[in-house]
Amino acid sequence: MKKYIQVLKATLQEYFIYRLNFVMWRVRSVIQLLLLYFLWLVIFQKNQVVFGYDKSQILTYVLGVWALRALVLSTRTAEVGGEISRGDLSLYLLRPISYVKYWFSRDLADKIFNIGFFIVEAVILVFLLKPPLVFQTNLLLIFCTLFSIFIGIFLLFNISFLLGLSTFWAPEGEWGGPRFLFNIILDFFSGGLFPLDILPLLLFRFLQILPFPYLLFFPLNIYLGRLNTLQIFQGYLIMTFWLIVSTWLIKIVWQKGLRVYSAVGR
Amino acid sequence: MPTISVSRLKKYYQVHEKEPGVLGSIKSLFKRKYKDIKAVDGISFEIEEGELVGFIGPNGAGKTTTLKCLSGLLYPTLGEISVLGFTPWDRKTEFLKQIALVMGQKNQLWWDLPPMETFALNKEIYEISQKQFEETLDELVKLLEVRDILKIQVRKLSLGQRMKCELIAALLHSPKVLFLDEPTIGLDVVMQKKMRDFIKEYNRQKKSTILLTSHYMGDVKELCQRVIIIDRGKIIFDGRLSEIVEKFAPQKILSVVFSKEFDLKKLDEIGEVKELDFPKAQILVSRGASNSAAAELLHHFPVADLNIEEIPIEDIIRQIFTGAQIKSE
Repeated sequence: MKKYIQVLKATLQEYFIYRLNFVMWRVRSVIQLLLLYFLWLVIFQKNQVVFGYDKSQILTYVLGVWALRALVLSTRTAEVGGEISRGDLSLYLLRPISYVKYWFSRDLADKIFNIGFFIVEAVILVFLLKPPLVFQTNLLLIFCTLFSIFIGIFLLFNISFLLGLSTFWAPEGEWGGPRFLFNIILDFFSGGLFPLDILPLLLFRFLQILPFPYLLFFPLNIYLGRLNTLQIFQGYLIMTFWLIVSTWLIKIVWQKGLRVYSAVGR
Repeated sequence: MPTISVSRLKKYYQVHEKEPGVLGSIKSLFKRKYKDIKAVDGISFEIEEGELVGFIGPNGAGKTTTLKCLSGLLYPTLGEISVLGFTPWDRKTEFLKQIALVMGQKNQLWWDLPPMETFALNKEIYEISQKQFEETLDELVKLLEVRDILKIQVRKLSLGQRMKCELIAALLHSPKVLFLDEPTIGLDVVMQKKMRDFIKEYNRQKKSTILLTSHYMGDVKELCQRVIIIDRGKIIFDGRLSEIVEKFAPQKILSVVFSKEFDLKKLDEIGEVKELDFPKAQILVSRGASNSAAAELLHHFPVADLNIEEIPIEDIIRQIFTGAQIKSE
């Protein structure tokens, strides 16, 4: 355990060196938020309720997406593919350390840093914009939200890590095509652009089978009190299913991948 | 039981061949021709505890592939390996804690942090006690003279400094078996010498088993009593360095300085004239006949100075490498 805490600590130290990069990343995130925020404000100028959401619910959703981007979607596993295709993976295989846990520790550091910044930014923006927000008072719902976020963190890690492992067979997985496609799908299917239940019902139903909506849309809907007990329970089941499947896949893909790994780059 | 034992190890890679040009690229999209590359083709050897063995061969001979198989990075295609009683590719924690592979061209140091941070991380990874960590680190830092750079960002260090820190990071857990893949690559002569001294000293003090590859004969000459030469995935020599000379160099060199001019053509009667730059000459004669040839020279030629020398090991190795290549082509 101590080794992974040390990885986390070292990763945190790295962020202090790449200050500019990190600040830019946060600026991008704030701009993303403001775009959505003002877009919805315009839509709500004429209507009281849009797609079954009122103004405070949507603005809470937008702010919530922003928070969960820092908490759930933030990941460093995009670098896994690069390490495999360059052969840097060897450096981990040589040491008694689990590569999966190593990257998870790095992800945690990433999340800690992102959330730290998020809190500061959120306080400033809420103070400046004074948006109407939904404050959930039902403790059980808050707990249910936190629980889904907790599972979501592992779920996103697994999916993104798996994508990185594909590099064992397709060296171009390093960045390029697959990762871009993944990011777009992720953003859209998880409800990062708008709440998914404004989509046609059939499409929405289909999306609900996939793991993505459970990363952003699902926890935020629990928080907003828009789901009943059965729906929450059903969501947990699907999440858990994907979590188990992805964990199992990582195990298999990792073992097969190591067989074809040729430890390139000398 | 030997520390390392390798038996009939084979490692084949499958690579796809692409015909030249864009058309070839388009073809390869639909139909790929695969070809087996025999990186290591049935080698066997054993290494005892505490031995320092040099592993040499031309580029692409299979040295690095062998080291990777030995350290558990690669699954061999065929054959058996045992290192410290373990099968490397099981990558058991107990095994990993006792070995290290240092690659001259790969860094485990965190690029943006001072080396000390990587050391601290390895302390946890290898579960080294604080006391042992401090002692080992202190010892290594002293031996390699790097005390003043431990807190400087790795990216700001010179190649030599970085290599030293790489070594420290790899040796903190006091591995019993050490694989060094070109530890002196890119280093200047002074640094090379220091590195060699260090490896020698480390082997002597810790009694650790070391297998090293290098393109610098200097490394091998100075460090290794035993040498394994590999070419095209096969071992072509395994023995003491001095035996290479006897086995592969059937000739010796007579180095002569003459005192006055004479008919230089006559020298051909003695042996093969390798170099002639009057008044100096170098003549190759067969090993057994070197003494009589020297006597002949002294008798019939105006000799000022004469030496019987062995052919330099570099030349022999070069001959072996090129010879082996010609044979297989």
